[in-house]
Amino acid sequence: MQLQQRHTGSVLVVKPLEKRIDASTAMDLKQKMNEWIDAGNRRIVLNLSQVDFIDSSGLGAIISGLKKIGNDGDLVICMVKETVMSLFRLTRMDRVFDIFTSEEAALAALSQKG
Amino acid sequence: MKSIHLGKSKSALEKSINYHLRCSLCKAPSSKESRDLYLSTAFSLRDRMTERILQTERRYHETKTKRVYYLSLEFLIGRLLSNSLHNLGMFDVFKDLLMDGDIDIEEVREQENDPGLGNGGLGRLAACFLDSMATLDIAGFGYGIHYEYGLFKQEIDNGYQREKPDNWLAELNPWEIKRTDEKCIVPVYGRIEHFQDRAGEYNPMWLDWKVIMGIPFDIPVVGYGGETVNWLRLYGAGSSKDFDIQIFNEGDYFKAVEQKVSSETITKMLYPLDTIKSGRELRLLQEYFLVACSIRDIVRRYLEINENFDHFSDQVAIQMNDTHPSLAVAELMRLLVDEYALPWNHAWQITQETLAYTNHTILSEALEKWSVQLLERVVPRHLQIIYEINHRFLGEVRRRYPGDTDLLRRVSLIEESENKQVRMAHLAVVGSHCVNGVSALHTEILKKDNFADFHALWPERFVNITNGITQRRWLLEANPRLASLIGDTIGDAWITDLGHLRLLEPSADEAGFKEAFRRIKRANKEMLAKIIYETVWTAVDPDAMFDIHVKRIHEYKRQLLKIMEVVYEYLRIRRGEKQPTVAKTYVFAGKAAPGYWVAQQMIKLIHNVGQVINQDKALRDALKVVFLPDYRVSLAEKIIPAADLSEQISMAGTEASGTGNMKFMLNGALTVGTLDGANVEILEEVGEENIFIFGLKAEEVADMIKNNAYHPAEYYRRFREVRMVMDAFRDDTFCASEPGLFQWLYHHVMNNEDPYFHLPDFLPYLQIQDKIEREYQDTSSWTRKAILNVARSGKFSSDRAISEYMRLIWNKTP
Repeated sequence: MQLQQRHTGSVLVVKPLEKRIDASTAMDLKQKMNEWIDAGNRRIVLNLSQVDFIDSSGLGAIISGLKKIGNDGDLVICMVKETVMSLFRLTRMDRVFDIFTSEEAALAALSQKG
Repeated sequence: MKSIHLGKSKSALEKSINYHLRCSLCKAPSSKESRDLYLSTAFSLRDRMTERILQTERRYHETKTKRVYYLSLEFLIGRLLSNSLHNLGMFDVFKDLLMDGDIDIEEVREQENDPGLGNGGLGRLAACFLDSMATLDIAGFGYGIHYEYGLFKQEIDNGYQREKPDNWLAELNPWEIKRTDEKCIVPVYGRIEHFQDRAGEYNPMWLDWKVIMGIPFDIPVVGYGGETVNWLRLYGAGSSKDFDIQIFNEGDYFKAVEQKVSSETITKMLYPLDTIKSGRELRLLQEYFLVACSIRDIVRRYLEINENFDHFSDQVAIQMNDTHPSLAVAELMRLLVDEYALPWNHAWQITQETLAYTNHTILSEALEKWSVQLLERVVPRHLQIIYEINHRFLGEVRRRYPGDTDLLRRVSLIEESENKQVRMAHLAVVGSHCVNGVSALHTEILKKDNFADFHALWPERFVNITNGITQRRWLLEANPRLASLIGDTIGDAWITDLGHLRLLEPSADEAGFKEAFRRIKRANKEMLAKIIYETVWTAVDPDAMFDIHVKRIHEYKRQLLKIMEVVYEYLRIRRGEKQPTVAKTYVFAGKAAPGYWVAQQMIKLIHNVGQVINQDKALRDALKVVFLPDYRVSLAEKIIPAADLSEQISMAGTEASGTGNMKFMLNGALTVGTLDGANVEILEEVGEENIFIFGLKAEEVADMIKNNAYHPAEYYRRFREVRMVMDAFRDDTFCASEPGLFQWLYHHVMNNEDPYFHLPDFLPYLQIQDKIEREYQDTSSWTRKAILNVARSGKFSSDRAISEYMRLIWNKTP
């Protein structure tokens, strides 16, 4: 799976460069998330601006990341296209994640949380 | 340009047809091939209709007109060429055009496929309703399934039904428009992850679903006069194209194709009625697929001109045609609560105010139930919602009737048994603001029997709307001679207001009109006789009485009672006990569900009886029995106008309404029938002297069942007539070359396996047939009665039914 990652302070910002996150890439994403969290990243922004479609296995990978990070960290999402947002709503995942319209807003929210 | 392609004049149509011959079919404009003419004409008409769809949509949009959506697993639309020509006001122009080229319009019409997207009455009703809504300028639209294979084609082999696939899409369908730009995603299968939202509240998440694409195909529905053009949207299932490409990219060609095939299977075929047993996962998927696609589309349209859901039920009405689309209750709730985050109570209010449910059957085996286990697998989130609806509903019942646990058990959406099931009819009743039966008698039975507990809870929720038929198809198109005679006599107002036919009543006593009416009936009978000869190679006399029993083959509809009467008549003549005074041709048609053994055997019995009778020279053609294969809308349009006698002889209390009865009446056949379904109202309209009613009433049947008072052996012992017929089934009279073939029937009836009470109604049926025979011989009197049947059929227009839906359901605020 192609993705960009960078740190802004203590926050890891990850941007998948795939148009689709589905069965063929979901496992990869899940594994990478595990690695980031295991490496001590506790605040992560997932930038979905390049993604047009996420199937249920892709959504499942994101959920597993949230579960792994648990209560002592934050996984937030930003720049979600409407097609993907509709899938978040379908699964009610929009109620679980903080979703922001820009990367800056996501970073600001995480920095406020200290 | 506009006048060339969209005008209604003869020259405009001719130019359009030539254009499509050249540009759509790559044929020379000089082509006189019927098929080319059919297709190019259909394209020409579609041009005119699509243009008007846009105009109509604009009008609805600007005025925020309330939209009615009719959800049905079946739309038996029939052929569309003539219907569209009539409704656009271009039929005569087209006919003229063909006459100029010396081409027979019938040949062109015969080129059109007759899509079998329905089993019978329920699907045809849906199609009639679309015609009426467009004619009445109502923003009414249909949602259904784009089955690749319609109901099977019926062939007959040695008297046995053989089912052949109806691949109606194998040929070009010029009417539909594929709208890939409006395809939608349908999630299915998966599991619920019990999670918490950001505020720590319970938040179930539907994960691990698979995706099916819903691809819409729109068919224009033009109202009479051509001003309003609505549409019927049929959804076909496909796989996600991108998803396929992904797998293709991985090099797994077979996996990609398999997934594509598996997704498309969902809309592969229409299930024949009586074969839909619970547990058939594909059928459940079809029902869910229709509901998911259509509700999503309806909400999308609404949100195009609204910012929130405050006015949803003011602008949207959804009618569920039987329980088949009843998952709409759970799907609309899911969409509002999950995807649009409405509070449960608000969403529930909207759902109830928007949805309404039409019940079509009181036969307990036809009331749908789906196992909880299956629902949990296929639509886990919907099952959760159904449980929540049930929980809240039972709480309300408990508050109103404290301590009545038996009532809770009876009304629950969940049938508690070893294999727990969801009662879809209960879901539909609870989730709707209005429930209607389809004839006065049927609605009363629903209120007193099937839904008695619900009626006690919410009496105001139950209404009756007797079914109807569109006179545009069933008289104007199917019986052009009679339509023309009526037009010459009272004008054409009946085409959009069938009540005008009352003006014909005085003509029933005018010799000239009666003579013209008889000539038309004779001509229609000649046409049918020709079809019979060309189809089954049996010559029948158009001067014989045409006694017709055509409908789905089912025990409750009692084809057996009719054939018992035919056998008795034959045996009496054969044994010299009766001199035939009226030549009779008995016409049967209808399909039996595959796997419904008794129904299949009935077809064989009719054929064998026909074979014996038709070949018996001693009868001198006094009786003929024919079974016309592959009953369908286009065949019904030929059969019904030729009928003298319409057989509507179901056991009282079993036929919800019937609409065949109305079609025959409208075409001047007299009805012989039980007091069942809409027959009761036909009697009220036409008067008892103009109809032949016989047999047990619904309450008498119910009493006999309750008191276990029906003993077939007693009828056999007491009545020679019963013995004659039953013995003929037992002793190989009709199966000399296949001994013992019909012995099962004797045992079936005699061993108390006759739930449809053939023997108690048999003698009354013979008596009424004697009366019919006497009356038929008085040609003048019979013709008068036939005319009065036509004149008094106004109530049975689907225009009336739709007006009642508008008044009582779609515009009703609960």
